[in-house]
Amino acid sequence: MTSLALVRAEGRKLTSTKLPWAFLAVLVGVAGLDAAVVAFGTDMGGSKAFLATAADQQSLMAFAFNAMIGTALFGATAAAREYGHATVVPTFLISPRRHRAVLAQLAAVLAAGAILALVGQGLVVAGVAVALPSTQYGFLVPVADLTRILAASALAGGAGAVLGAGLGAVIRNVGGAVTGVVLLLFVLPPLAAQLLPDAAPWIPTGLFAALSGTGSEVRPWAALLAVTVWALVPAGAGLLAVHRRDVV
Amino acid sequence: MLALTIDHVTKRYGRHVVADDLTFAVAPGRVTCFLGPNGAGKSTTMKILLDLARADHGSATIGGTRYRDLANPARAVGVVLEPNAFHPARSGRNHLRILADGAGIDHDRIARVLDGVGLTYAADRSVGGYSLGMRQRLGLAAALLGDPGVLVLDEPGNGLDPQGIRWLRELLRERAAAGGTVFVSSHLLAEVEQLADDVVVINAGRLVATGELAALQQAGTTVRTPEPDRLTTVLRTAGATVRAGREGELVVQGPSIDEVGDRACAARIALHELAPRAGSLEELFLGWTSPGEAAAGGVPAATDPSTDREPVLL
Repeated sequence: MTSLALVRAEGRKLTSTKLPWAFLAVLVGVAGLDAAVVAFGTDMGGSKAFLATAADQQSLMAFAFNAMIGTALFGATAAAREYGHATVVPTFLISPRRHRAVLAQLAAVLAAGAILALVGQGLVVAGVAVALPSTQYGFLVPVADLTRILAASALAGGAGAVLGAGLGAVIRNVGGAVTGVVLLLFVLPPLAAQLLPDAAPWIPTGLFAALSGTGSEVRPWAALLAVTVWALVPAGAGLLAVHRRDVV
Repeated sequence: MLALTIDHVTKRYGRHVVADDLTFAVAPGRVTCFLGPNGAGKSTTMKILLDLARADHGSATIGGTRYRDLANPARAVGVVLEPNAFHPARSGRNHLRILADGAGIDHDRIARVLDGVGLTYAADRSVGGYSLGMRQRLGLAAALLGDPGVLVLDEPGNGLDPQGIRWLRELLRERAAAGGTVFVSSHLLAEVEQLADDVVVINAGRLVATGELAALQQAGTTVRTPEPDRLTTVLRTAGATVRAGREGELVVQGPSIDEVGDRACAARIALHELAPRAGSLEELFLGWTSPGEAAAGGVPAATDPSTDREPVLL
């Protein structure tokens, strides 16, 4: 058995249930919501000034942090259900060197997360582009910036899925893993930012603002590195836990 | 032709000893049934053999190699462990496709094993809609996917209908006859009597008997005497295991029938019956695994279970 064979098996695990389709349906909903905001939303003054500039439109479309949350939930569910349904047993029988099986799963969810996020970002851009003609503004975001938010979302999707899969492998229960994701990405970062103001740029919202070009507190390469750390720490914890634990 | 060897394996979870210095071997070309009450440590021992759990002490090997060191374990060893190790929303065929992908097995095998276990008609349905028997068949299909020479099956007959039980028995006998190694845990003692060449019996994590089933079933003596208490004392002093049978007779394990007669004669105890015992497996099992037997610790091993087919009562 090769590593590629294990990755293929993990990929088939993801595509042979309705999980990716459920997330895709959510993405379509999010894109529809963005289109509705563009078509029907106004600011406090009743105008559509929030769409007036390329920067405004780019901020509205930037989807990376949402992508990270969504794919973290996806990765957590994908990994934790393996333990809940005990399908991890045949996996470890095929690959008794468990780190290889875990790395294959991380690779598969990384790819799936990146694709889901890219599709989600594409749908949001398409939704906004379709809705803008109903306003007095055209589509103002240049191709280079569009490419940047697509790339940031793909990165966020991959990172989020790896983070979630790491938590899922540690916690081994879908409910617990989902709660872990919410705590790690929703609850703890704002708390940390309040307690340690210097940490504020390094929480995911700040990092993806820097990567999407909608914020500039952190340099993009540093943000890239920090996002990688956010993903790899839970993934490393998952790898260690799986390696040390008995499969019972 | 791979033998399974469990060598002085000890496993603890906290203060609970699940496997206590277990040593036995499972020979190729034979069906070996692994028996013990619930919680005796059978599943844990199998998991240690398959590197799903780590032994605190000792080793478990397949053909002298640890499971994790086998070149392609899914092709060498077929396993049924968990009756519900399936994603309920995934079809049976997709479950097998995933395993085939991971193990590098040609997908042509999937249709063949599904046909072999009689599950082709339901292969594209979600496993969530399967009965327990259908899940067992799917588990067996997964175990047979790599056409392995070794089968390690934990309660594979659970949920199977009588036809399924017969099919399973014939399959396992065929595999053993072809030189395969078949190691099966089961609670269905009547089925074990029809299936097993050898048995390994554990109780509270300790080995209590191992060897050829036919020989073990002969490994005892029935004695009737007007002085059962005195004879029991005499024989137990000599290291025998003695218990009362259902009809007031004594069931003696350990010494040979000649020795039982000689000791009774030496103690001037009259005997009304002295006969070799061909006990039912159920009776033997209950004797091996009753709390008194486990606490008594039995008698020393007569032979090395890893090298000899002679029965061993411990």
